[in-house]
Amino acid sequence: MATPLPVEAPVRREQVVREPGWNVIVWNDPVTLMSYVVLVLRKLFGHDHVTATTLMLQVHETGKAVVATQPREQAEVSVARLHAFGLQATLARL
Amino acid sequence: MASVLKRRGRIQVRLDERERTALSDIVAQLQTHITRALATTPRAYDDETMQGEYDRWVRPEIDRGYEADLDVVRDGLSAGDELLVLTEAQVYAWLRAFNQLRLAAASLLSITDDGWEAEASDEFRARPEYGMLMALGWLQEELVAALES
Repeated sequence: MATPLPVEAPVRREQVVREPGWNVIVWNDPVTLMSYVVLVLRKLFGHDHVTATTLMLQVHETGKAVVATQPREQAEVSVARLHAFGLQATLARL
Repeated sequence: MASVLKRRGRIQVRLDERERTALSDIVAQLQTHITRALATTPRAYDDETMQGEYDRWVRPEIDRGYEADLDVVRDGLSAGDELLVLTEAQVYAWLRAFNQLRLAAASLLSITDDGWEAEASDEFRARPEYGMLMALGWLQEELVAALES
């Protein structure tokens, strides 16, 4: 019966590079209803009512708010969905 | 008078014939100005290349969505029923469509900053687009409230 050779642990050369997240930013506009913004933030990002309202007020009072931080592809989908709801939104690398 | 209620998980919108006609007219008048309003939408990216890709691959889908939302509203209004029973998906389509139409009305009114409501003159309030903005806003508020109830 053959004696099994010891197996050496493979040398891992690849490195997992994690991409820094991207911020999804909603911008203020003077027309869109506050209640609508809260509803959209709840629907798209699953925020509770208090969090969504806080973010909406931040948008209203300071001009913008980061509503989510996500990997790029996901952040782009989020921005596209915000655009589909008529909100002004951009994404920016962290 | 128009009303929006939530019954058994469905949203019921009651609009008499005069209100349906008025709303259809608003949609017809403002839809052609939506593109102008969208021109003010900020870019998704600062980076030119990334923005170019977004415009090429993502933006057309969003534009098709705007059209589809308007179709949902038009179909509902043209059904001829005083009581419209909407699914949640249809309510969201109405909300998105109304938001685009409100942005179009605001663009026609040259609204660019907060505080325009308080500063609105009688002449400004007499403009048809102002009435459209208010009417659509009222309906949007009612639909949001019904969804949240």
